[in-house]
Amino acid sequence: MTKINHLKKIAKLNKSFIIYKSDKGFDLYTDFSKKIILTNSNIKNFINKATQFKFKKKETDIFIGFFGYEILNNLIGVKVKKQKGLKFPKGIFYKPETKIKLQNKLDYKNLELIKSNKPFKININKASYKVIFDKFKKKIKSGETYQIKVCTKYSNKAKIDALDFFCRLVKTNVAPEAFMIKDKNYSIISCSPENLINKKNDFITTKPIAGTLKKTPKLDKTKALAFFRKNLKETKEHNMIVDMERSDLSKICKSGTVKILKKKIIEEYKDLYHYVSLISGKIKNNISSLDIIKAMMPGGSVIGCPKISTLNLLNNQEKESRNIYTGSFGYIKFNGDMRFNIIIRAILNYKNRSEISVASGVVIDSNAKHEFNENYIKAKALIDLYK
Amino acid sequence: MIYIIDHQDSFTHNVVHQFESFDNVVCNNYNEINENKLNNADVIVLSPGPGAPKNYPITSNIYKKFKGKKKIIGICLGFQQILYCEKGKIIEQNKIYHGYQSQIKVTSKKSLFKKNHKFKVGRYHSLKLKEPFTAKNFEITMRCAISNTAMAIENNKEKVYGFQFHPESFLTENGNLLIKKILSA
Repeated sequence: MTKINHLKKIAKLNKSFIIYKSDKGFDLYTDFSKKIILTNSNIKNFINKATQFKFKKKETDIFIGFFGYEILNNLIGVKVKKQKGLKFPKGIFYKPETKIKLQNKLDYKNLELIKSNKPFKININKASYKVIFDKFKKKIKSGETYQIKVCTKYSNKAKIDALDFFCRLVKTNVAPEAFMIKDKNYSIISCSPENLINKKNDFITTKPIAGTLKKTPKLDKTKALAFFRKNLKETKEHNMIVDMERSDLSKICKSGTVKILKKKIIEEYKDLYHYVSLISGKIKNNISSLDIIKAMMPGGSVIGCPKISTLNLLNNQEKESRNIYTGSFGYIKFNGDMRFNIIIRAILNYKNRSEISVASGVVIDSNAKHEFNENYIKAKALIDLYK
Repeated sequence: MIYIIDHQDSFTHNVVHQFESFDNVVCNNYNEINENKLNNADVIVLSPGPGAPKNYPITSNIYKKFKGKKKIIGICLGFQQILYCEKGKIIEQNKIYHGYQSQIKVTSKKSLFKKNHKFKVGRYHSLKLKEPFTAKNFEITMRCAISNTAMAIENNKEKVYGFQFHPESFLTENGNLLIKKILSA
């Protein structure tokens, strides 16, 4: 029996498809029968209707796609001023007719080498970053925000083979929320590590990450945990996110059911350690998918705290659209079950332009130079794919 | 019924769940107050939130209207709101406590809680009460064990209580017990 190379096949057929990390490997979704481009006026209707289709227990009884940052703000009544940007859709969902399970090792090599990539440019230089940073520090002192994540963006002109990029990316970094979308006029490649919503029946979990440490030969898991425990800044940031996510879940969960299942543990990945908590709850009766999405999105750990006032500060500051960055990718099943991540560590390629956004937190004891450099480290694994 | 005034904080619903274990709770945004329900409430809770008390004049008015008539409990910004209405000054502090767990101490004999009792609490505040502070029937009953910053006020005569820390935070030991005692006072 010959093993079919699904990836090769799908690349050849020039079809649109989505790949999403599963427990054991990856799931490939394709043969889309519907494509819904979201706008501020159709999003509520879309979410409400997504769970009204008849659930025949088929694995393709789902809508899969993404919500961008702006549409999620709009959904919770937070205004985003007119911004510069690619004019990329605010969100897109697909109804697949085919799902194929793939192994963890993705085997694909692109046939023709594309070499038309220009160097990346950053939208905020170190000096202007420091100005923004100091401005937000003042806002922390006056209590308007407790923590805020400033976003910088790298962009270039590039034609890319998205599947090749994704396969190379997951070879070195098998992130639990990795995904890619390849459509005719755009592609997204992401190695997101962070799950925002995992809902089965009335049980929901969220798994915020606050704290990342690069692996070195000398640094094992125990030492990484000791580092975070000792580090007051990391501890405070993490505590804040845990209380914020508990509160977001409490909006939609039965009283007394919100629990911290895993409190401040270390998760080990190929190149790094994450400082993670897992929080769960049991959803109240009469809560809709829309209620859940509004309670949880945009994911707090990548915005700051408290959410509404911090979003307002960010939206007044940021001149360029975040597009997909800090939005959410995932699916809603016809039966109401959901899985969504937070879109970070992602490439958006649209009209032959690529952009990679990164952010790091301003808290009272963070340092502008350190955070600026940290941002570059976060983007580097993705920028390296262009070499 | 307990009426919680939400100052759009990302911790408010932890407060809601905590109070719900004792009574029915109604929670509304500070600028969408339901007068009818507020009038019917036995207890009013002023939630935590961003900014300073002076940014929330509606809440100040509610406090002044119901002080002495209903039990009022303030948390973090809510605590500062009470102090502000009692002519206290709320100022920026040099060291900022956001997501900070620290030890506090019951410092007054007049407290519902046992004097000298120490426990760990979660804190999220950049502002604090400027001292000395005096107001009729008010007593500062808890302080930070290290910096001595005011952490709780009690007015057992008019049933007004406030905490600078967050009883609903996972960082606070025995937060539920604390609320239970205040509610039954």
